[in-house]
Amino acid sequence: MSDIAIKVSEPLALRARLNEDWLAVVIGLLVFAAALASIGGTDLLGWAVTASVYTDPAKALSPVAKAYAWLGGGGALLATYAALLVVLSAGVATLGADVKKFAIAFTVVFAIAYASWILGSYAHLAAVTPAEQQKFGISWSLKLTNEGGFIVALLSGLVIANFFPRFAAWLKEAVRPELYIKIAIVILGATVAVTAAGRLNLASSLLLRGTAAIVEAYLIYWSVVYYISRKWFGFSREWSVPLASGISICGVAASIATGGAIRARPAVPILVSSLVVVFAVVEVLILPLLAQTFLWHEPLVAGAWIGLAIKTDGAAVAGGGITESLVMAKAAAEGIRYQPGWILATTTTVKIFIDIFIGIWAFILGYIWTNHIDKGPDRAKPSEIWQRFPKFILGFILVFAVSLWLALGSTSEIARALPAAAGEANVFRVIFFILTFFSIGVLSDFRKLWQQGFGKLAAVYFVSLFGFVIWVGLLISWLFFAGFKPPLAS
Amino acid sequence: MSQTNLEDDIKAPVEPLLPIEKKLIGWSLGIGIALLVVLITVNHFVPIKL
Repeated sequence: MSDIAIKVSEPLALRARLNEDWLAVVIGLLVFAAALASIGGTDLLGWAVTASVYTDPAKALSPVAKAYAWLGGGGALLATYAALLVVLSAGVATLGADVKKFAIAFTVVFAIAYASWILGSYAHLAAVTPAEQQKFGISWSLKLTNEGGFIVALLSGLVIANFFPRFAAWLKEAVRPELYIKIAIVILGATVAVTAAGRLNLASSLLLRGTAAIVEAYLIYWSVVYYISRKWFGFSREWSVPLASGISICGVAASIATGGAIRARPAVPILVSSLVVVFAVVEVLILPLLAQTFLWHEPLVAGAWIGLAIKTDGAAVAGGGITESLVMAKAAAEGIRYQPGWILATTTTVKIFIDIFIGIWAFILGYIWTNHIDKGPDRAKPSEIWQRFPKFILGFILVFAVSLWLALGSTSEIARALPAAAGEANVFRVIFFILTFFSIGVLSDFRKLWQQGFGKLAAVYFVSLFGFVIWVGLLISWLFFAGFKPPLAS
Repeated sequence: MSQTNLEDDIKAPVEPLLPIEKKLIGWSLGIGIALLVVLITVNHFVPIKL
């Protein structure tokens, strides 16, 4: 998800994306390595703040590790803010950002985003079961779990974008949803591996089904959306390629990569990207609720569906998180308690499988365009596969592989200590999710986009998404996942 | 820049689908559907294991 408001040249956009990818890998690995230190007995991340369901605000926050209980909730929050500020400021400095502006804006972004998270943990919003309601002495709850805070963060961002546009512009330096979600995805590798190690059979089954997601996104979605855009709406090839890629594959990254591959004018994929973000927001607000209502009895279908239907990495994976919380809440209310992590793991697996092939698809399109459509001396090179490969995926794979090895290939002591270490890393994954959701909201100025004459582009997106992509995604998810449930919590 | 380009492009004459585009769409769909059928068959014989 690129910054909607910024107009950049294509090489600059590409370079920034690649640097952002590597930065996400570095920060994600840093968090992962610090978390692993706890296996050796040195708890480096136990001070990180975590929120619990509450009615008394004084009890909402606490450090993740009991060893740091002396810090208190407020101390943990300040320590977490300070650590993120230092690491992210150093990181964005490498991207050429104005560090002072970033630090000031990030302070506000973090404050509003985390306040949204705390609000989402309020018992009347988050308590799920009758037992929890009794525990907190309340008679009703929206049953969103505390991950309903993602929705609160998103809504906060939307309010700022649409009612306080000057404030949104002021926050711009720290509104970096792509960076935040990429860091989160790298960290997520540990949680997915720990979950997978617990149930290897199901994990390998998910990998097999990821292949279907690739086929669906690249070969079926793309060609149908491209045809709709070209034939029904009369868009040029230059607009249709980034549009089809944005709607079909993985949103902004695919739009920019394939737009670059066919040598589209720089503004084209950037404008398409802004549309992708808007639709992703709409989907994140609607689809998890639909999944909770109609698919709560098929949790893995719901997870796969979200991965296939929501097109930006951040919105998809975070949408998977919301779906998991909503579906688990509904199931819990019916007396079924699933192990957490499986729905999100399904969404993430599907999304990552789709992401991996962006570079190859961009190369194929580049080859066709340079050799058959815009014939000229500037031919696509095989090295472009690597140039356009989303590097943060490497971070996810590395964290996943190391965690899986520690869980299955090392000593039993290490394997026993790994879930706690991954849990500490996961605290930061959640925080980066919150920052992502808030940032997506801040970038979604619906009125501004409408004024720019996006109606026809939006129509292609609307027709493709709600007339085809969502339903085919649901069908495929159903064919591959129906009848299979996550393990029950013990 | 963006506003002018988008509005101008919408008003521009429609580019007809070239044979290579039709091939790309047709082959993608054909291979995609065939692979999905294969994967659905494999899925039938290799169900998800818990």
